[in-house]
Amino acid sequence: MTRWPLSYTISLVIALLAFFPVIILFALASDSVQMFDIRNLEILSNTLLLMLFTAVGAVLIGVPLALLVTYVKIPWRKFWLILLAAPLALPSYLGAFTFYAAFGTGGEIENVTGIATPALNGLLGSSVIMALYTYPFVLLSTRAALSSLDASQVYAARTLGMPLLSSIWHVVLPRIRNGIAAGTLLAAMYALSDFGTPAIMGLDTFTREIYVEYNSFGLSQAAMLSLQLLVVVGLILYLESKVKGSQEPPGRHLTFWPKPWQANLLLLTTLPIVMLAIVLPLAIFSLWLWREGTGNFDFTYALNSAYASLLAAFFAVILALPLAYAAIKGTMGRIMERITFIGFGIPGIVMGTALIYAGLQLPFLYQTLALLILAYVLRFLPLAVGTIRSSTESLDGSLVNAARVLGASPKEAYQRITLPLTMRGIVAGGALVFLEVMRELPATLLLGPIEFETLATYLWRVYEAGYFGRAAIPGLILIFISALGLALMFSTERWNSVELNEEEQR
Amino acid sequence: MQRRTFIKTLSYLGAASAFPFLSARGFAAISSAIPVAELPELKGELTLYLGRGEGGLYEDVLDAIKKRNPNFNLRIRRGPTAALANMIMAEAKAGVSQADLFWAVDSGAIGQVVDAGLAQKLPGDLTQQLQPEFRFSHWAPISGRIRTLPYNPDRISAAQIPDSIMALPDTDLSIAWAPAYASFQSFITAMRLIEGDKATTHWLKGMKNKTKQYAGELGVVMAVERGEVDLGLANHYYTLRLKSGKPDARLALAFTKNDAGCLINASGVLALKEGKTATDFIRYLLSKEVQTYLSTEAYELPLAGQLPTPAGIPNLAQLSPPNVDLTKLADLRPTINLMRKAGII
Repeated sequence: MTRWPLSYTISLVIALLAFFPVIILFALASDSVQMFDIRNLEILSNTLLLMLFTAVGAVLIGVPLALLVTYVKIPWRKFWLILLAAPLALPSYLGAFTFYAAFGTGGEIENVTGIATPALNGLLGSSVIMALYTYPFVLLSTRAALSSLDASQVYAARTLGMPLLSSIWHVVLPRIRNGIAAGTLLAAMYALSDFGTPAIMGLDTFTREIYVEYNSFGLSQAAMLSLQLLVVVGLILYLESKVKGSQEPPGRHLTFWPKPWQANLLLLTTLPIVMLAIVLPLAIFSLWLWREGTGNFDFTYALNSAYASLLAAFFAVILALPLAYAAIKGTMGRIMERITFIGFGIPGIVMGTALIYAGLQLPFLYQTLALLILAYVLRFLPLAVGTIRSSTESLDGSLVNAARVLGASPKEAYQRITLPLTMRGIVAGGALVFLEVMRELPATLLLGPIEFETLATYLWRVYEAGYFGRAAIPGLILIFISALGLALMFSTERWNSVELNEEEQR
Repeated sequence: MQRRTFIKTLSYLGAASAFPFLSARGFAAISSAIPVAELPELKGELTLYLGRGEGGLYEDVLDAIKKRNPNFNLRIRRGPTAALANMIMAEAKAGVSQADLFWAVDSGAIGQVVDAGLAQKLPGDLTQQLQPEFRFSHWAPISGRIRTLPYNPDRISAAQIPDSIMALPDTDLSIAWAPAYASFQSFITAMRLIEGDKATTHWLKGMKNKTKQYAGELGVVMAVERGEVDLGLANHYYTLRLKSGKPDARLALAFTKNDAGCLINASGVLALKEGKTATDFIRYLLSKEVQTYLSTEAYELPLAGQLPTPAGIPNLAQLSPPNVDLTKLADLRPTINLMRKAGII
């Protein structure tokens, strides 16, 4: 490294900010000697297997769906994209709970239809549910990577007689490995830090140890165990950084034009996903709504959710840009980018408490909306950084160099070449942050302004009390608002876009 | 057996209101609960940290208090009980105290904050309104919950359930429990205080192979109702609430005698800042109207005055809860260690 670019300085400040709550955890953990009991290998292996199965499941669902909504000309393509991304806005504990209530002997499916279903629990149950509520990470990051690919190589392969599926396998997928990996990393980290789903499914994981400590007022023990969890986080961060995609100039967009029956058949295959991840929970809640009657729901909760999420998505993207840019500049930048990921692997309630301590350092901001948004941004920065970085990475430097040779300043080259070409990644990153904030709970409860109620906190309240019928309407509104937010974001996607890349403008 | 028939009759008739609330032990003078009409008007503003939501029910109580006192503004922060307790301690350390009151569903969390010296002493006439065994200087219990054995009458009969919680490992019943749940841990703490560490460890180890684990006690009650197990260990109100939504639910309640198995624990409130409004607010929570509402709608045990227990629960004269100082239940650490040692958590 010969010089210290501007993006490094900005990134360093942001990375330190994002890392600050983790430093607080170190301070909180300092008076604890609690170590993870290595004899308890079952819990460790449960945790690692859950992480692995979730990652595999999210890829198996997310990548084909990304191919479908990016390359295949289907009617209402944006609608399907938004619908298929929406499960990310539903808290996974609600999904897990409705799955528990629906399946098995005496479950709601049997009560209503008379069809006996096997109970869903343990490692299998947790993995299925976790994959259903994390695949949008992979879907959105893969889509961002796919849409900047040049189709010519696929056409060449097809012309030379390669069947369609193997040309996707051999020609498309290897070039977007980093995009897939960026989403998979997030799914794996989510699986690592989530508490509700494995608890409801009766699976003992690392997070359960942490919650038992936290709830029995062992904050320092919980902090210590959370820090030990970071060993696993570090390992997957390292593995993901080894995945490389290809660098190439953007080109023509690949499009498949299926016959109507083929398109319908393809859409039909997505039906089980939509049914399980969205329709089933809402149907179960509606059933209970019908049984119990409704509660006092206030529509301002939905507005609060929407604007807090949009603000967080906006600022997360702004902060993520220099980090993503620094990450492809050199090793130091890469390290700073990785640092921002660490907080995402820490269980929410422990992180929430660390953020209280951080927030108390700024008494004038404590319990204001500004602090809450800052907490969201710092916590979910990796969602934006990952997708933006993976779409920036695949950019071929020659275009920027050409612009520079033609007399553009670095700033102009960034604004006119790099930024438009990474727009899909930026929107995907913003969308991920938006959806994740919609369902975020601990920080909202602990750091928000007093009386600041969102859809997620309301859902939690009725869930805690056992009044599930009252979750039906807010659950539906959560999906609806998420869809609106996504529609808004995806509409900015074409802003300043490169013509070559759009099949609509051939 | 007569007792169980009685309980059953009660739960069918919902006639508990016909029986006066009598304490099993103390007959010290308890004033009858004070009606709201006799309470001073609340003025000014209070900030309440409310541990766990309990749905619209505590909310309904708070709304009613707000409505009755137009010159009073109540600001509420809701959160998981342990998280709010940690938050209160963090705020106190930083000198940025926000809350005037802390209302928690778990007496353990109350104990933590009281032990940290952050709670204000309550006036004597306020604590006098409570049942004698629920009088504490720095916090006021609001409503009680009793440990119960919900069972599935399609699978087992009441006669198969032992009268002693300690005899449970020697039965051939399959049992649901939620060891990670705070109320369960308080129950084990009570067992530890009554029976000693050795007997408790023995009990936990004996139970280990008979039990199926659930995340929370609603899950336990649902599992019993679905017939996944014969019997469960849970707070009483989960059964009553499930039955209110599903009257034909295959669920009945059994109680053990004079041991940790029928411990009465309490939700409670404490004042973090001095002030008349804060203590007056607590008086509202102990009023006849609020206590009756919590009993009839949330199925919790009223602790102030002499009010009837919720329908489906026998009055306290029929039950024999153990004599345990609730503030001692905050001593969770040894319990957690014991449960770890027994391989339960």
